[in-house]
Amino acid sequence: MFLLPSTPLWDTSPPLKSSYDAVLIGGGLHSLATAYYLARDHGMTNVAILERRFIGYGGAGRNTAIVRANQRTQENVPLYQEALDLWPVLTRELDYNLMFYNCGNLNLCHSEAAVTAARMNIASAQFQGVGSEFLAPADVKRMVPALDVSDRPRHPIHGAMFHPPGGIVRHDAVVWGLAKGASEQGIHIHQQTEVTGIRAVDGKIQGVETSRGTINSPRVLLSAGGYSAGLSHRFLGVRLPISPLTIQAMVTQPLKPLLNHVVSSGAYHVYCNQTLKGEIATGAHMDPWPNYTTQTTAHYLKHQAEALTDILPCLRGVRFMRHWAGLADMTPDMAPIIDGNDPVEGYYLNCGWGYFGFKSCTSTGKYVAQYLATGERPEILEPFRLSRYKQHRLMGETAGAISYTPWN
Amino acid sequence: MSFLITCPTCGPRKGYEFRYGGEDKGPRPDEAGLTPEEWVEYVHMNRCVAGVSKEWWFHRDGCSAWFTIWRDTRTNLQVQVSNDGPEEQS
Ligand SMILES: Cc1cc2nc3c(=O)[nH]c(=O)nc-3n(C[C@H](O)[C@H](O)[C@H](O)COP(=O)(O)OP(=O)(O)OC[C@H]3O[C@@H](n4cnc5c(N)ncnc54)[C@H](O)[C@@H]3O)c2cc1C
Ligand SMILES: [Zn+2]
Repeated sequence: MFLLPSTPLWDTSPPLKSSYDAVLIGGGLHSLATAYYLARDHGMTNVAILERRFIGYGGAGRNTAIVRANQRTQENVPLYQEALDLWPVLTRELDYNLMFYNCGNLNLCHSEAAVTAARMNIASAQFQGVGSEFLAPADVKRMVPALDVSDRPRHPIHGAMFHPPGGIVRHDAVVWGLAKGASEQGIHIHQQTEVTGIRAVDGKIQGVETSRGTINSPRVLLSAGGYSAGLSHRFLGVRLPISPLTIQAMVTQPLKPLLNHVVSSGAYHVYCNQTLKGEIATGAHMDPWPNYTTQTTAHYLKHQAEALTDILPCLRGVRFMRHWAGLADMTPDMAPIIDGNDPVEGYYLNCGWGYFGFKSCTSTGKYVAQYLATGERPEILEPFRLSRYKQHRLMGETAGAISYTPWN
Repeated sequence: MSFLITCPTCGPRKGYEFRYGGEDKGPRPDEAGLTPEEWVEYVHMNRCVAGVSKEWWFHRDGCSAWFTIWRDTRTNLQVQVSNDGPEEQS
């Protein structure tokens, strides 16, 4: 017989203190990872995570769990590469199975232009020591026999970019594992605690206002995922180059094993993988108007069914079981904003992750923790300053081979 | 849930017929003496209000009109607001 543990993995009702050494806004992946590393690497345990609903309420509990490190630009790759390397390490360290399945990611190209973009991506990945290779249609077919590589589909397959070290990680396990790891080291996770204001005096952070009262702290990190930009404007009057868009995702009924890689296609606006339960988890569509609804649409269900069955005809007639949506904080250059002490000393920002915030949370949490603890920006975070937009130095991730922006 | 937008020419139509054109940030800044900072403020910086916001839409699969509406970003519903009505709630 299988017995559920009677005690939660983490302390779900720590006392709310009136002051902390650091306060992290949002109980998502990035706050949880930051908290874990603040304690592990810097001995900072007098730290609170403040979450309006429950941990994992945001993108953390809604994402499609895809991880990879084949980003396009040299500024972005190192962070994702380290994040990918950390899954097996954290599984041991947290003593919690994050179910990392490094099945590899197969990104389909449907035109000569897409093949060229993929070759460029592959070359940059290889240059940085990240496994990535080009596959001709016949090799694609050998790898995933269910894919239709004939001329029949609306967008025939011209080849694919294969990234062997990527794959899938169980997203809920990451939330629970990091919460356990942070809590065991003494960090307070306060759920049902909404931050309603950030207090600053003479250009210095004093703390936050919450639905449960004032909390003093010399350091505040805003990492509230899709909610960050609205909060930044509401609390500090600082506008960010972000649009909070909904991404929709869904799963089919469980099927026999047929997909042993993550398959994605920018042209069809679809990615999919088969979960251990046998469901095809699929998504990618973004409603291109900012909103906070997490609503799903019939419009997209239909699109997804058409796209999926065009490349994987064996899925015709299969039913979708569930669908859901979550917010993605999209920036114009598909790269995050990680910054600190500007315009207020002690105020830090880690947002704008769009649909890349799951795969990146481990390494980013580690460096953001270092940033908070020392006050000094780690080298690897240098490219992600907010000021890059004012200098018109946007990063080239939008031109990557794997792009599902609302307008492609 | 899909939603409706009222085009000044075509009346209420499905949201997916339109392209969102950004938050209403007032008139386009004059190019004479424009600094990169001012331009970025206009082009990229958003308020991302969780509430009623005035914004541009383009009837892409219709009459090609550009127009502004007020929409509650928490419900996606268009809101009727008198001329300079409440720009932000919550
Ligand atoms: C459908 C979908 C699929 C995705 N697929 C992938 C994928 O395959 N791979 C990938 O890498 N990424 C994916 N993402 C993106 C990823 O989920 C996010 O980038 C990531 O969760 C961001 O983490 P975060 O910690 O910044 O924010 P979140 O995980 O969103 O957490 C933010 C938290 O802040 C809380 N909050 C908001 N306001 C307040 C307040 N005032 N006070 C206190 N707390 C507040 C929210 O309740 C929420 O829990 C996907 C996202 C979605 C929606
Ligand atoms: Zn019209």
